[in-house]
Amino acid sequence: MIRFELNGHIVETDDAPDTPLLWVVRDTFKLKGSKYGCGAGLCGACTMHLDGQAVRTCVLPVSAVAGKTITTIEGLGTPEAPHPLQAVWAEQGVPQCGYCQSGQIMSAAALLESNPAPSDEQVEQAMAGNICRCGCYPRIKQAILTAAAELAVEVTA
Amino acid sequence: MSTANLSRRGFLKTSGIVGGGLVVGFSLNGCSAGPVPLKSVASAWAPNAFVQITPDNVMRFYCPRDEMGQGVTTGLATLVAEDLDVSPERLLIELAGPHPDYNNPAFGAQGTGGSTSVKAHYTQLRQVGADVRQVLLQAAAQDLGVPIDSLDTDDGHIVHGDDRLPYGRFVATAAGLEIGGGAALKPPSAFKHIGREFPRLDALAKSTGTAQFGIDVDVPGMEHAVVVRCPVAGGTVKRFESEAARAMPGVTAVVQISSGVAVVAQKYWQAKQAAGKLEVEWTSPQLADVSSADMRAEYALALEDAGDTAHSEGDLEAGFTSAQTVIEQDYWAPYLSHSPMEPMNAVVHVREGEADVWSGTQGIGIAQGLVARYAGLDVENVRAHATYLGGGFGRRATLTHIIEATEVSVATGKPIHLLWSREDDIRHGVFRPASLVRIRTGVDDEGRLTAWQARRVGGNITPYTLKAALPGVLPSLGDGTVDWLVGVAHGAFDGWVVDSSGVEGLHEDLDVANVAVEHVTRENGLPLTFWRSVGHSYTAFAKETALDELAVQAGIDPIELRLRNTGGKPRLQGVIREAGARMQQMQPAPGRSLGFAAHSSFDTDVAEVAEVSVEGGRIRVHKVLCVVDCGIAVNPDVVRAQMEGAIMFGLTAALHGEHTLENGAVVQSNFHDYPILRMNEAPEVEVVIIESAEEPTGVGEPGLPPIAPAVANAVYAATGQRLRSLPLRLA
Repeated sequence: MIRFELNGHIVETDDAPDTPLLWVVRDTFKLKGSKYGCGAGLCGACTMHLDGQAVRTCVLPVSAVAGKTITTIEGLGTPEAPHPLQAVWAEQGVPQCGYCQSGQIMSAAALLESNPAPSDEQVEQAMAGNICRCGCYPRIKQAILTAAAELAVEVTA
Repeated sequence: MSTANLSRRGFLKTSGIVGGGLVVGFSLNGCSAGPVPLKSVASAWAPNAFVQITPDNVMRFYCPRDEMGQGVTTGLATLVAEDLDVSPERLLIELAGPHPDYNNPAFGAQGTGGSTSVKAHYTQLRQVGADVRQVLLQAAAQDLGVPIDSLDTDDGHIVHGDDRLPYGRFVATAAGLEIGGGAALKPPSAFKHIGREFPRLDALAKSTGTAQFGIDVDVPGMEHAVVVRCPVAGGTVKRFESEAARAMPGVTAVVQISSGVAVVAQKYWQAKQAAGKLEVEWTSPQLADVSSADMRAEYALALEDAGDTAHSEGDLEAGFTSAQTVIEQDYWAPYLSHSPMEPMNAVVHVREGEADVWSGTQGIGIAQGLVARYAGLDVENVRAHATYLGGGFGRRATLTHIIEATEVSVATGKPIHLLWSREDDIRHGVFRPASLVRIRTGVDDEGRLTAWQARRVGGNITPYTLKAALPGVLPSLGDGTVDWLVGVAHGAFDGWVVDSSGVEGLHEDLDVANVAVEHVTRENGLPLTFWRSVGHSYTAFAKETALDELAVQAGIDPIELRLRNTGGKPRLQGVIREAGARMQQMQPAPGRSLGFAAHSSFDTDVAEVAEVSVEGGRIRVHKVLCVVDCGIAVNPDVVRAQMEGAIMFGLTAALHGEHTLENGAVVQSNFHDYPILRMNEAPEVEVVIIESAEEPTGVGEPGLPPIAPAVANAVYAATGQRLRSLPLRLA
């Protein structure tokens, strides 16, 4: 049994220890927001937070998260109570097909946690691991900068 | 009055004509097609296949086209909402199931593609909205006992004096009324939603992980299948050894299917691991003799053939004689895969006498037909459930993954979730054909083209797209007949007629008296299909690079050269002029150069200017200006998004995209060797939409064709190197 915290709940799984976290979350815990894109850590569609850090879960064995804290897109916010990034994403019409967006938003959220006021270049570098085949990059970048500015106002207010 | 009980008299009885003379012909009376697959909602009124209103004023719109990111749910909801007089934001959007009422008026079948959706449904869905509103007004007049002309509507409400009464209050009465059809449409001056800027309606669901894609479908008792296929397309199983795979944890079955061997397990990862233990021996198909290095040389030889004539006008040789400057060059484009972020997948459950299928497709009716065919069921006993598509780009019109899932479900009796890996998706898919185009053209001393000759060598997509669609569209057609028809198509396109999708865009933009467009077919068995903008994805590169070369050689301004030779296309001239004027104002930073290209495709005209630098042999695109004329922009924000996206998709092809074959097998396997443009390479994009009162035309594809030549032309301006092969690589 491997035990870890998933979106605030303690969970246990008897999936094989080498099973990538992505498939444990999707198939065992039925949270479908995190996506499979490449299975090789190349596209970022599977991004979750491991103790607050963005990680590629399609290549992360579940054994590596024993005792740790995992947050998925579902744990970040909901349609009723979206995270500020999710709210800006919707307001600015960022997604097209939408498949990569969970991973994009999880990478962006981890970036803003560690760097609340990133420059254009810092956004580009932090997001270079997330592929969007629809090419929403200009909007993703703008949404991150907008959310960072809004969060900064909240902090100072 | 549940949705299962749709009375005949409640249906719209209209049949109209939309732009281009296409008959809408939506009888909507159920007829032989059976009931429309609407959600069962208590007491809801469903006057037609598209709109369902509950007494508490919940309004659903059944979107007939597939949402693959192009914003069609938002666009089509806006059309019906405009004349129904309700905010599109109020509509709950459902993805329609299969039924002839949901046919694409441009195709007469239920398919999404070719940048057709908004154009083809523009009048139809507005009429649906207007007719439903009219009946609601009649019902309200009856219920309130007032003359109908004392009533108005506003955002889903009947307005009577100071009272605002929700539409839902009148649905019980409306359900008993005859729908006349033909209600007047709003004049554009009265539009509240068409042309309004608002974020696409699916954005919040897609930002919170709650939008459902095919891969997310999870039904009770479901097992997971992974298929091992022949590395070379067309190869079949000779023999296989499955003992090791069967011994792996969670594995419940190993079955041979038409495309290979499927391993079934309780969980995906178990199936995937076990599939790696299979040993399969394959037959060797014709394609196994093909390698890319030889192919390009063969295409170059084939360019010397005269080929089949696709289009011919005037006297070509006289045209060349009167030219002052003549150029002749060849332009290469490689095989490409679509590589949508969501790899192919489907969930299929075949039971005794019935089945369900869930998948994101570009034709849910084809999905239904394929399950019926391969499960031996009647079509009406297959329920097909549409999901969002994690990217389409033409890929999801070929649904072999649904055949696979059906075969495995038939063999196991279980609901089967079948998923392709990224490697499967890249290696076993259907491809944009490789293409070699020769342009020979001449210009006189006044900048008028005197002759234009274009010859293309490559494969034809139509026989392959027929082969993909026919078994699903006509499930009762025998395999032999399908093979025969596909064979006829292959034969016809090799020496008799030209598959127009191979040569589209080679000459249509140009107003020139002496023209010849020719085609030489070269096939090797690699399956081909539509790829975002289809033939235009390589013909625009050839045409627009050649025009730039000709302008340079003849000493004519390249924008002026285009303006002088596109007299038959005023809309195209409009975007050329606008982009040209803005290009004059652009002030590229030191070390950066500008390149221009313009192209018309799918009735939409686009001009693009790329601002490019070359650093250490690497091409960097910093900024793209895009001017588009798509008639009325139903949602300008979605139009801009499609231009931005098409430019990025086109830049991946321009800078990176290339599939090669070695002994028939696709060499590339994942994003490390088939790289997709990333954010740190993405340019800033400015989109300018030309103001228009003309009916809308499509926007999913037309932003793509001009970008590769615009970048190539900028690279020439920067370096003096003329790049005629995609992807663009400096010497």
